[in-house]
Amino acid sequence: MAVSSNNSMPTPTPEEPSITSHSNGSPPFDIVKTYNELCRTDPLLTHPIAAIEALISLLAASPVDTISETLSLLSTATTALKSSVSNPIALSAGTDLFQRYIISTLQQRSSQDAKGRSRRNLAGGTEDFRAVLAHLLANSRLFVQRANEARGKIASVARKFVRDGSTVLTCGRSRVVAAVLEATADENVRFQVIYAEDPLPSSPNSTNIVNNLRRKDVPVAVIPFAAMATVLSRADFILAGAESVVENGGVISSMGTYQMGLLAKSKGRPFYVVAESHKFVRVFPLDGGDLPIKGMGIEFSTENEEGKGMHEEGRRKERDLCVEFTPPELITAIVTENGVQTPSAVSEELIKIWY
Amino acid sequence: MPGSTGILAPGLTTFKRSVRSKGVSVESSIDNLISLLKRRQIRDSRPCAIATAHLLRRVVETFKITDISRLIDRVQQIGQRLISAQPRELTTGNIVRRVLGVIREEVEEDREGEISGYSDAGTDSRPQTPREQDSRAPDYSALFPRSLTSSLLRHGEMDSKLEEIGDGRPQRPPLLTSQTSYAVTNTAPTVTSMFSLLSHPRSNVPSPTATPGSQSPGIHLSLTSQALANAGAVKDLKAEVVEGIQEILEELNQADDQIAGYALEHIHSNEVILTHTSSVTVQKFLLKAAARRKFTVVHAEAYPNNHEATHASVIGKAKGEPDDDLGSEVFQKTLTAAGVTVVLVPDSAVFALMSRVNKVILDTHAVLVNGDIVAAAGAKAIAKAAKLHCTPVVVLSGVYKLSPVYPFDPDALMENGDPSKVISYEDGDFVDKVEIENPLFDYVPVELVSLYITNLGGHAPSYLHCIIDDHYCAEDVDLDKSNAYR
Repeated sequence: MAVSSNNSMPTPTPEEPSITSHSNGSPPFDIVKTYNELCRTDPLLTHPIAAIEALISLLAASPVDTISETLSLLSTATTALKSSVSNPIALSAGTDLFQRYIISTLQQRSSQDAKGRSRRNLAGGTEDFRAVLAHLLANSRLFVQRANEARGKIASVARKFVRDGSTVLTCGRSRVVAAVLEATADENVRFQVIYAEDPLPSSPNSTNIVNNLRRKDVPVAVIPFAAMATVLSRADFILAGAESVVENGGVISSMGTYQMGLLAKSKGRPFYVVAESHKFVRVFPLDGGDLPIKGMGIEFSTENEEGKGMHEEGRRKERDLCVEFTPPELITAIVTENGVQTPSAVSEELIKIWY
Repeated sequence: MPGSTGILAPGLTTFKRSVRSKGVSVESSIDNLISLLKRRQIRDSRPCAIATAHLLRRVVETFKITDISRLIDRVQQIGQRLISAQPRELTTGNIVRRVLGVIREEVEEDREGEISGYSDAGTDSRPQTPREQDSRAPDYSALFPRSLTSSLLRHGEMDSKLEEIGDGRPQRPPLLTSQTSYAVTNTAPTVTSMFSLLSHPRSNVPSPTATPGSQSPGIHLSLTSQALANAGAVKDLKAEVVEGIQEILEELNQADDQIAGYALEHIHSNEVILTHTSSVTVQKFLLKAAARRKFTVVHAEAYPNNHEATHASVIGKAKGEPDDDLGSEVFQKTLTAAGVTVVLVPDSAVFALMSRVNKVILDTHAVLVNGDIVAAAGAKAIAKAAKLHCTPVVVLSGVYKLSPVYPFDPDALMENGDPSKVISYEDGDFVDKVEIENPLFDYVPVELVSLYITNLGGHAPSYLHCIIDDHYCAEDVDLDKSNAYR
């Protein structure tokens, strides 16, 4: 962690002990519960944003006085949060962004202070810190709103890919993909959609894309995932969502995206990924096996699971393997709210926030 | 129009003359350029770029500035008109965006002097109400969203030249390589796009998440008050902007020579180089290498659009395009005279010869933000053949040809030329019975290109977007406000 670079900041003075004392008796804040609650109540909330929200509630609930206290509180909470879910990558995009924002804002302010004023009293650093904290606590709804607006922004960029008469192939339950296609339909572009259906029965969201598009008079063909290769030649391009975008420009997204990417490459079809930039995360996997996601391995067995039926095993595996990694060379472009970027531009953005 | 232009056909030279003359109003100059672009009397990347820069310089010079944001609006409007007059000439839009970047940068530099005073006043109120500080200090960050480092880079490179002529600007560090842009980004106040999610409400007005329509009046307001506050500074600003445009013009003139400066790094003794069409950029590049090395050039003739010029350049009878500033000194020497073995081949022989070729060097019409290029027809066949033989393809392009536009519809960039060049109209049998097409351009995807050489040096395809980010303001990428979200 880059906390060591904070030594330029003045050590905070214990001037206001009142805040520390007043909530000592309250029950400890449960970050995991808050996070899960947030994810459950708002279906539009992405994992990173939910994590940021949870951290803000944590800061609101716990009395912190110094910068290093805050940072260590955040890092313990982040660790707890990460260990509670099977795929910690998505939410770590949010927690990293939050932590980096606090650190770099404070650094920036202190360096500005150093430039602007010759001398400042020691309490100055604490004041800055309080200002940053106050801003974060006061605006948590705004961040959610911005994150949702980002989706609209992506839709406005990515809809230019869809032209009259084109056929789009997509799969998964991405909210951004849904937003893009619905925005395109609203523009009265005549296009068709091929939706490769996930065999996983549960998710109610997947049918939503299909239903919503049909409601807007967009012809949608639903195909089983296995028919992808056959159908691909009918599609002009492929649109996929992502749960996280990793440093080399690859994406972590729902099962089936990798296959789709491989097929698209072999058939020479463009493969566009739409994802908000807050999903960028500083992980550099060389392939899917490098990811710290639980349940990614496969097990071999000679035992027949009698009584449960042959499919039970596959179904269980399917629930475990809900995400996979798609390498950057299969991706034509990543559309974020900043415009269309090549996969290599992702590391650029990440470097900017980390260094 | 003055009578002096009577001898010459309308083109870049006549336009430059008319745009300089006091008798012609700015408005008629704009209309003049628009019609020249529409009638294709000014065509190709460089002439279009030069004409646009000249026009915008005139626009800025004659603009009565009371409010700098008006100037931005005006340049944007003119830019839109020029682009819609000829959307395939991407350099027109590039120059408009560069000029907008110059204006924004000058405003920012101007601000830097004053903002410290403001923030001093603002700090006391900051701890209690972070918002208030923002509303008190005019929020210029709105105008420079992300990549104003951009022009820093460019200026750095221009500076070194300026210093030679004794006009160096001491306040700007001479940044010679593009790598330094990292450093610049870091020292500049961090407005990275990823943080825009968490940033202060007012401080990211142009950020993707803010709805610009509702916000932009705010920017203008704060700017107006600022502009009124120090009207004296505005005068300086205008001079600085004109100087910035002058630097762009200089860059346009020197790009080819600067690219040629990298020739020795890429062409080695006894290599076989394949090139295509008669391009001044490539010609200069090869000549520079020929001064030190012996090599062979296989020259594909680019029939039917460019073969005459190609033949002429091989035997040295070519004259510069009449529209060109450089005039006759362009081809002062042929490659053969410089000791290079030149093999002229028809385009159809390219594949057969590719196995012997060490390197393909291509000129380009435009380079798009994802690295795809628009080049003379035949370039894609060459690039594909090179890919099959694993021969590196090097694209030479001045930075002014790099366009921040994403090719959502590549077909729109293609153009068909005069079919009589393929089959002449005298050949009635053909003209009656078959359809004849003469595409001028090829769209070459980035996968087929190994390296881009610009006047800043050699860049891998994946690095290209950084150069583009450095040269254009993110806000200016989409000049057509009507269909844009921002």
